[in-house]
Amino acid sequence: MKVIIAKVDETLFSGDAVSLTVPGAEGEMTILGEHEPLVTTLKAGFAIIRSKQEGSSELLVHEVAIPGGLLEVRRDGATIIL
Amino acid sequence: MAGLKAIKTKIRSIQKTEKVTKAMEAVSAAKMRKAQVRALAGRPYARAAVAILSRLSGAQALSNHPLVRAHTLDTTIDVGSTTSPTRALYIVLTSDKGLAGALNSAVLRRAERDIRDSGMSRSHVSIIAVGRKANDFFTTRGYAVEVYHPNTDTLTSELVDEIVLEAANRFSTGVVDLVKIVYQQFITTFEQRPTMHTVFPLSLPELSQVVKDIIPARGAFSAPAAEDEPRAYEVEPSEGAVLDLVLPKLASIFVYHALLETQASEHSARMVSMKSATDKAGEMEHGLTLQFNKARQAAITREVSEITGGMEAMAS
Repeated sequence: MKVIIAKVDETLFSGDAVSLTVPGAEGEMTILGEHEPLVTTLKAGFAIIRSKQEGSSELLVHEVAIPGGLLEVRRDGATIIL
Repeated sequence: MAGLKAIKTKIRSIQKTEKVTKAMEAVSAAKMRKAQVRALAGRPYARAAVAILSRLSGAQALSNHPLVRAHTLDTTIDVGSTTSPTRALYIVLTSDKGLAGALNSAVLRRAERDIRDSGMSRSHVSIIAVGRKANDFFTTRGYAVEVYHPNTDTLTSELVDEIVLEAANRFSTGVVDLVKIVYQQFITTFEQRPTMHTVFPLSLPELSQVVKDIIPARGAFSAPAAEDEPRAYEVEPSEGAVLDLVLPKLASIFVYHALLETQASEHSARMVSMKSATDKAGEMEHGLTLQFNKARQAAITREVSEITGGMEAMAS
């Protein structure tokens, strides 16, 4: 799934990911591909993005600090707006 | 005929001006491209925010939200009074510097005309000015400029948030009934149009239009149509909580893109006017060079005829 983390004036992260873990309003949650469409508020914390890397079975982990925001999940991806 | 030295000095000064205008043209061209690229960088944000709002557009919480609900005008106001009960806040965006043709005056005229047409008195209008030109214009005309920000090249989301917060506070506490934004919309390099939108009360159709306008219809930065949005979302923790967050963000999209459009317009307008200034300087230089050559030739002819005249006088 395609994950985008965007501020109004810049995109902080954009890329394919296997999973996305975020500090949701009602606790931490992890989103995988083909998730039900969802809109939720986020608390301050870290968004953790795990993506495949070429030639290795290990997942590449990417952390982005977020000051809170909104998460929109579609079947094909997720967008966090800060 | 003007002295040779005077003409020479004039040519030199025009050459210097030409160099300056040419440099300014090149700088504006580069800055214009940067502003266009930035407008595209904000697209995923705008798309997601509008998708969330359209999902929630049927919600009860939306129509009652303080940033969406139109203030009901006080009908008990006495009929004899000529002043309109509406108080409005105008966010006016111009550039800091001039030398950009009719760019700023068009925006300022548009804002002033709207104020006049709505029949509001000066005391009912407040201004948030971005750009020195807007500040000067409204200050000298006696409007209340509440907040002034210079319009620098380095736009930050902090500036946008500050403006939105200020406007949202004034609207939701009932200090003003209407928040409008006036700016120069970038259409092409040669065409900009003064544009006005109502920011608060927020309306979904107006917002969708702004988001659509972010992507130019043609040219290097045009993009394919957006993918289909899902019909239904789960909403957590509640529609109200999500709305509280998403509505100010939508307003930031308004303000941010208006700022970008203003900057792109400023730089393209300056590029065009500097190009015509460079062309004009070239023309003047050409004319003066001709004049200089003629004057020099006249001086030589005169000297030669004086010498030959003197020789003939001595010979006779």
